[in-house]
Amino acid sequence: MFDLPMSGVKVLDLTSNAAGPYCTRLLADYGASVTKIELPNSGDPARKVPPFFDDGGSGEGSSLFMFLNTGKQSLTLDLKDDRGLEVIKRLIINADILVENFRPGVMKSLSLDYESVSELNNRIVYTSISNFGQTGPHRDWKGSDLVLYGMGGPMINTGHPDKEPLQLANYLPSFHVGATAAAATSIALWGAENSGEGDWLDVNFFETLMGHIDRRSTALLNHQYDGTISTRPPVAGTPGSGIWPTADGGYFFTTVLANRFPAMAKMIGAEHLLEDPLWATPAARAAPGRVEEFSAILILWMLEHTKSEIRDEVEKVGVYGGPINNIGELLQDKHFEERNFFQQIKHPVSGVLTYPGYNFRMTVGDQEEDISNRRPAPLLGENTDEILSNQLGMDRLAIESLRKAKVV
Amino acid sequence: MVNKDNTQKKLPLEGIRILDFTVVWAGPFATQLLAEWGAEVIRVESTKFFPSTTRGTLARPSKELVQQGGIGGYPNKDPGERPWNRAALFNVHARNKLSMTVDLTTEEGQEIFANLVSKSDGLIENNAIATMERAGVSWEKLSKINPEFILVRMPAFGISGPYKSYRTFGSHMESLVGHYSLFGYQGETPEASGTSLFADPASGVAGALAFMNGLRHRRKTGKGIQIEAATAENFANQLGPHIVDYSMTKEVPDYIGNRHPVYAPQGVYKCNGQDRWISITITNDVEWEKLCSILEVKELNDFNTVEKRHDNHDLIDEEISKWTAQHKSVELMNLLQDSGIPAGAVMNEKDAFEDPHLQERGYWEELTHPEAGTYKYPGVLWKSNKIDNKLRRAAPRLGEDNEYVYKTILGYSDEEYTEYEKTGHIGMDYDGSIQ
Repeated sequence: MFDLPMSGVKVLDLTSNAAGPYCTRLLADYGASVTKIELPNSGDPARKVPPFFDDGGSGEGSSLFMFLNTGKQSLTLDLKDDRGLEVIKRLIINADILVENFRPGVMKSLSLDYESVSELNNRIVYTSISNFGQTGPHRDWKGSDLVLYGMGGPMINTGHPDKEPLQLANYLPSFHVGATAAAATSIALWGAENSGEGDWLDVNFFETLMGHIDRRSTALLNHQYDGTISTRPPVAGTPGSGIWPTADGGYFFTTVLANRFPAMAKMIGAEHLLEDPLWATPAARAAPGRVEEFSAILILWMLEHTKSEIRDEVEKVGVYGGPINNIGELLQDKHFEERNFFQQIKHPVSGVLTYPGYNFRMTVGDQEEDISNRRPAPLLGENTDEILSNQLGMDRLAIESLRKAKVV
Repeated sequence: MVNKDNTQKKLPLEGIRILDFTVVWAGPFATQLLAEWGAEVIRVESTKFFPSTTRGTLARPSKELVQQGGIGGYPNKDPGERPWNRAALFNVHARNKLSMTVDLTTEEGQEIFANLVSKSDGLIENNAIATMERAGVSWEKLSKINPEFILVRMPAFGISGPYKSYRTFGSHMESLVGHYSLFGYQGETPEASGTSLFADPASGVAGALAFMNGLRHRRKTGKGIQIEAATAENFANQLGPHIVDYSMTKEVPDYIGNRHPVYAPQGVYKCNGQDRWISITITNDVEWEKLCSILEVKELNDFNTVEKRHDNHDLIDEEISKWTAQHKSVELMNLLQDSGIPAGAVMNEKDAFEDPHLQERGYWEELTHPEAGTYKYPGVLWKSNKIDNKLRRAAPRLGEDNEYVYKTILGYSDEEYTEYEKTGHIGMDYDGSIQ
């Protein structure tokens, strides 16, 4: 059995919705033991996000929740109750990591701020995920993925130049911030294990998106360098670049690299252009009208070919591009199939559904380690008794008394 | 590093040496994050090979081309004598990193590389498979030289499977894994909806996390490891809810533009001025009532449930747009947020640098680069309570750290160093034949 890199690491997960749970799922994926603390009765609000498997809002069939919480254990706990607080404090003593994504100040009101927690356990890595960070004038501002992507991310560059800026697929900003928090936590854990001293990390959407590499950080330095204010680029900025119709869907090319135009000209049988001074050099191809002229030639060729034919041609000549697929096409894709990427996971309520595989694969020697499929997301409070009795040594009577008082 | 309590504290990754073979965005972002927290990241480059879209799109772009602008700009739109040291595309992520040069196409170069591998903890790369074969980077080879080595490979589709050799940027890989079917304007096609490059930063983060897992594996087992962080698989994971949705419903959803599957209204609304916009998300009835009291449009008051707001979204958008068009985006953002409504200006570069929150938190950091000048950079991405972590140095010029790497790390003598200069390993200028 492959001893996963994070096995033995105990994580207290006080997160909900999307960003925090994505962070702790990445920790769970590589072996950490993640205890998800949820409010008794209601649980993580993500349990209420449609679509649901049974479409009845039972709180156990949300695809978002099921995706985000595989491999975790659920403990219901009322943190506003003194007995609940006592339970979490006892769990903190043995934890390596605590992740929370409450509004700044909430953890303090629960007496679970970093100062209080580090008094119980000064080795702990305490990761706070928030919209704008734990300090500063926007600290208490409200956000959504759209609002924060627009402020921090490159939304001003996303979409059509003649239309409003456009958001990306739902949850991507949240997952990016969650993944960043997982990397931050892992780096800090390495430091804490070596120094014996933990840390409090302030990871937030605004700064994470502002500094992420996409177009944003480059455009920010570019603005410093030459004053450029960027906007949404034309769909076809250089000859051949852009999304084109084919016989069976869309195909997307980028030829911004000056040395890719010749390859594309060859691919569509237009080598003669390369001899023509109007087309021979990058500067010549940048002249007004070239994009439109080349588009007219390219489209005819594209419409005569299917996405998969084009993909094979592209590979021969070395043009950068990819087909426009939908999720149904992705699930049938031969490459992902051959690499056994997707996982079939059986959940007690929703049955067997298809989930994406791991973000990265660990290989030892020449063999990829067979990390088996993840465990399904826990039902609300599924592991309450087990955790209280195994980790805190509570007996059945003590647990029943907490349950009667609605603390668990 | 001096800290908040005025003591010397080590950054968590001090003492970890990483060989950086990364190009474009995804890989360099992984090594940027690791360098920020103390890893010694050495870019292994060559004066005889210019990896495109890394130190600029071309090694020697003409002044005219640079004047046209675009994302990969240069200080004052001037490529300068050594454009590869002045490209924003490179300088933004290469801060804190070192640069050495070696010609890996020669046997001598491979000997130098082997020496380097034996004295490093790991290597991170995100190249086409063939490029790494030519450079002599393979797990089989590197693990023989250094059995404790951590090799993180981040090619677009992985190192096996039918697409392993496909050339893509992150954006094309995004289209292949289905992202372009999940964002777009209502009623429009992908062609009319623009492109996304979000997989690159996503992949960078995964690469950094993968390397950390590699370090833990080595500590547990005493052995090295190869980790494969395929950009496509990492990004497909981030489309997870849509994959589970599809598996549940077998439906390909229509484009929703800027709307939200649950909340309403949500949209991006035009403000006063050229390319000025504000995003607004109403997440509950209380926020809606507040927005109504600001808008003062009677008909809107009736839409007091999220269902009604979804049903009348077009009308609501129209009314909001009429109002936002009269105001400046940043002022509106302040007004709405002060009223407890989630709203944000769609910030351009100027808005970002002027934002008081980022300024007060010390987000921007000034760095001086010997050939590019002194400018503000986006700072360290997250804050630590223990260490007041700052950027340490500007991006390295090509080959800037050759002397340190060859003499201090690898132990070559002055004579050997001079010899390697002559044999074309060591240099600070790209070969004259490179355009």
